[in-house]
Amino acid sequence: MLKAWRKSFVVLVLTLSLPALVYADTVYETELEFLTRAFVDSPPEPNLLWLSGDRKSTVRQLLGHDYAALRLRYWCQAGRSAWVLNEIGKELPITVGIIVENNYIKNLRVMTYRENRGGEVATPAFTDQFVNAELEDNNRLNVRIDGISGATLSVQSLTRLATMALFLHTESNCSNES
Amino acid sequence: MNLKKLKSSKARRLHRSLGAGASIFVLFMVLSGLAINHSNGLGLDQRHVSQSFLLDWYGLGKPEKIHSFAVGDDWLSFAGSQLYLNEKPVATISDGVGAVFNGEILIAAGSNELLLLDHDGNLIERIPWVPIGAAPIESIGLYDNTIVSVKSAGQLWQADTQLLNWRQADDSSAGPLWVTSEAAPDDLQEAVTASYRGEGPSLERLLLDLHSGRIFGTIGVLVYDLLALALGFLSISGLVLWFRGRRNGKPK
Repeated sequence: MLKAWRKSFVVLVLTLSLPALVYADTVYETELEFLTRAFVDSPPEPNLLWLSGDRKSTVRQLLGHDYAALRLRYWCQAGRSAWVLNEIGKELPITVGIIVENNYIKNLRVMTYRENRGGEVATPAFTDQFVNAELEDNNRLNVRIDGISGATLSVQSLTRLATMALFLHTESNCSNES
Repeated sequence: MNLKKLKSSKARRLHRSLGAGASIFVLFMVLSGLAINHSNGLGLDQRHVSQSFLLDWYGLGKPEKIHSFAVGDDWLSFAGSQLYLNEKPVATISDGVGAVFNGEILIAAGSNELLLLDHDGNLIERIPWVPIGAAPIESIGLYDNTIVSVKSAGQLWQADTQLLNWRQADDSSAGPLWVTSEAAPDDLQEAVTASYRGEGPSLERLLLDLHSGRIFGTIGVLVYDLLALALGFLSISGLVLWFRGRRNGKPK
């Protein structure tokens, strides 16, 4: 009888703590791990890119709103740039690391996912779709990104960030090194 | 016969007592119902309550404490997880530690991040502290009035002029001037408190909550249910008493 009560208590505590587990941030990769991967163990010093004037307008057009900062830091080495960008999925920001080389996306990975649904966008099966994507003249990706049922807003956020990273690469000094 | 009379008299007394008690409730429901029906015309949906006890009742409480820091000619204040430039909310930041002005930009430190702001309160950059130092930020200060310095786990960190790179500095050198919170002017504290609490519910919302009993939570709704049942009882008891009176040939 006592055991049954204990079991019930454990189940109750687990059930009550479920929301806390669901809403916890999921960190897939830290900034240091991302940079180490992007630049093979020797990350360069960061650079700054200010979002002002026409650049700010274009970013607003790509995202549908202003980016939540006036300046961005990026890392550049031998024509390869690495960007850590944030964009709201449904309610919370998704942190994404994007590596651009020769105006193509070399790699895109979700670094931190904070929403309670839609985490499937962090799987390589989804993010690999962005590899080798480039910008067309109308500032759209040249590849079609397949959506994920139940994660539409997160898919759209990642697509916008991929587009933004490609645009920022062309605006940075890194594109001149290509 | 006496028993019947006694019962009838008891029923009348109960009917009268309940009726008198319910009349106040009925009057309130009538008046609040009329006001709700014409809330748009009366502009009740546009006017908001600002009484402190009502805001507290609706859970729009005051911040536990406001930590303010003088940054140039302005003030940066931490209230809960909200950061204010003077009385304007500019960003969210958890565990506010301090704020400085290095002559160009405003820097607010939370325990786990630094926020760079321009003079209008626009966010320039949000710098997570974790990739730089492992331990949370304990205090922020300025060295030579320009170099932003941070103390984390007892160690001193200094930023370059662009706040792009951080390096661990020798703690034995002449230390930076660490900032401490100051008492902001009363009117600013009041403005920050008012902004933190936000706009109270509209008068229409208040009336709707009073009308339905929801303002008192579940208990309020249950009490209103009982009062509504009492009104139903009154109408039935009134009809019964009226029919009895008619049957006895002396309608009352």
